[in-house]
Amino acid sequence: MKEKILTLPTPYGENLELYKNVWGKSGESLSIVSGLQGDHLNGLFLNSHLTQFLDSIIEGLDPHYTLTGQVQTFPVVNINAVQSGTRLWPLDGMDMDLAFPGNPQGETAEAIASMILQHTKDSFWGLILTSAPPHYEDAPHIQVYKSDNSVKKMCTDLKIETARRRKKYSTQKVNLFHHWQEQEISSVMISAGSPRTINLQQCENLFQGILNFMKAEGILKDHRNKNSENKGKTRIYQPDEEILVKTSTAGIFLKEVKVGSYLKQGQKIGEVRDIYSGKRLEELISSEDGLLITLRQYPIVYEKEPVAIILTAKKSWREYFPWNR
Amino acid sequence: MQTQRILSIKSPLGPPVEILKHTFSAQSNKPRVSFVAGLHGDELEGLYICHKLLRYLKELEISNPEAIQGQINIYPAVNPQALENATRLWPFFSLDVNRTFGSGQIDSLAVETSQILLQDLKSSSEIVIDFHSSNLQLMELPQIRIIKDFEKKLLPLAKKCNVDLIWIHPNAEIFASTLGFNLNSAKIPALVIETGICHRIHPNAGDQIFNGMLNLLHETGTLNIELGPVKEPKLVQSDQVKMVQAYHSGLFIKQVEVGKFLEEGERLGKLIDPIEGSVLKEIVSPCSGLLFTLREHPLVHKGSPLARIVEILSKK
Repeated sequence: MKEKILTLPTPYGENLELYKNVWGKSGESLSIVSGLQGDHLNGLFLNSHLTQFLDSIIEGLDPHYTLTGQVQTFPVVNINAVQSGTRLWPLDGMDMDLAFPGNPQGETAEAIASMILQHTKDSFWGLILTSAPPHYEDAPHIQVYKSDNSVKKMCTDLKIETARRRKKYSTQKVNLFHHWQEQEISSVMISAGSPRTINLQQCENLFQGILNFMKAEGILKDHRNKNSENKGKTRIYQPDEEILVKTSTAGIFLKEVKVGSYLKQGQKIGEVRDIYSGKRLEELISSEDGLLITLRQYPIVYEKEPVAIILTAKKSWREYFPWNR
Repeated sequence: MQTQRILSIKSPLGPPVEILKHTFSAQSNKPRVSFVAGLHGDELEGLYICHKLLRYLKELEISNPEAIQGQINIYPAVNPQALENATRLWPFFSLDVNRTFGSGQIDSLAVETSQILLQDLKSSSEIVIDFHSSNLQLMELPQIRIIKDFEKKLLPLAKKCNVDLIWIHPNAEIFASTLGFNLNSAKIPALVIETGICHRIHPNAGDQIFNGMLNLLHETGTLNIELGPVKEPKLVQSDQVKMVQAYHSGLFIKQVEVGKFLEEGERLGKLIDPIEGSVLKEIVSPCSGLLFTLREHPLVHKGSPLARIVEILSKK
């Protein structure tokens, strides 16, 4: 059910209003946040899809399910950026995910950040829905800081096969995800697609994954005796298992592979052509076998820009023993 | 003067993106000092100060080269594409370059660029000055902001810079990704000078800081020149700073100028409702003191900063 959680006056007219949707009153709660960046639309759409689904259960229109836990979704965090059609709100130019923990008395971004954190800090589980950085496309995957059993279980229950463990970085302490980790909320970030677009197939797959997660964690009961599926296994890739493929020239990058595909060593990823002459300047090749997790989507490239991130299927030390082969 | 390209990136349309470094060689091994401007592409006050330094040092190099006792490096435009577009962020990436320093950032051209700049500064400086203006909204009196953890090392240097005030404030998590923080963490004293407002140049403030930079170079032994005295800055601790914020959204009409000594209750401006035609509130100073930050951009949302005042009990 839609609930207003913050009202801020604006200089020229209607108030700025921040909403969440909330369902269920008992049990441990799941928070799902999207729209931290104004151009991350996959998450926004996925949250709206979830809303429609959960509303239909609460209204008794879907006889197959009963909600047994609590769910709250925050479809749009950076309201001004979404309304502006931009990644950041042009007025403050501030990355919303650098505003946490926020300040209730502060400027718009700080006040919103504070309210989001206040409403989610007591959650048991948390999901942050994002897309790739500007100019890139991500195959659906999970991002985590640690790979303990609770995180592994979340990944498996979400039915997402790929997870990346991120290195600690200098701005993480002002991210929402960091503050959830500090609150010991079992949480992951899910990245899929590219900014400014909605990929319906990816959203549907993620929707099914979140449904499975809710069933596995006892938030949702399926009366058809369809238990959650946890047959698949998520592979968590470490930072040193990532390979960056960078340009050594500048021009138009023409990709020849699809994000999410498995590349063979030596396989062509794409090529860079000179804008004026149309001549091929270089071919970008995969240096190892691996999963193409991120691919350049915007074709104009500078020199030294990454065009692909490949997750390599490095063998664990156990696999080198003959009896384990 | 020698000019070096510390970074050159081929661009899709031809001319490369380059970061230039001008070096004035030293006659002895006094401290090497580096000046950085334009990390945010809309902040031009630092470019003006670098321009003045370049002119002065070029002339000195001809007239009295022995005066240059320590190497001086000037990086006048370190975010060239943002400067050409007059935007705070590197436009191609919509990225604040001064949030890309520090460890573990997602690999990108912007991060690689910032790492090259950081390494170059580390390898060629004993002291770094990073010039900034304020953002689109606020006008700042010439000042140096020092994170409390670095106070001991930075304060003696900051006092030589001819600024109006030195604000010592606690650390905040977001600083971990800035150039200044990463240099200071690497034990290279880095002063972050903040003056004026973006998109503008205020020659008087620029001249004041230029004189301060010459004084700093003189006091550190890097330049052997004769100079007059510089002003003694006010030392400000965070609990002395009173911030005035907008209690409501609207347009702020300022009625004073930055640098004024205010009495408690003195009018700063008024907040108006442009649609209804009403005055929402007269904004007054909460204390007596020096007005060192003032809202220039009239558009305010609830919570927006309007002014910062250093609480001072008497003008003396």
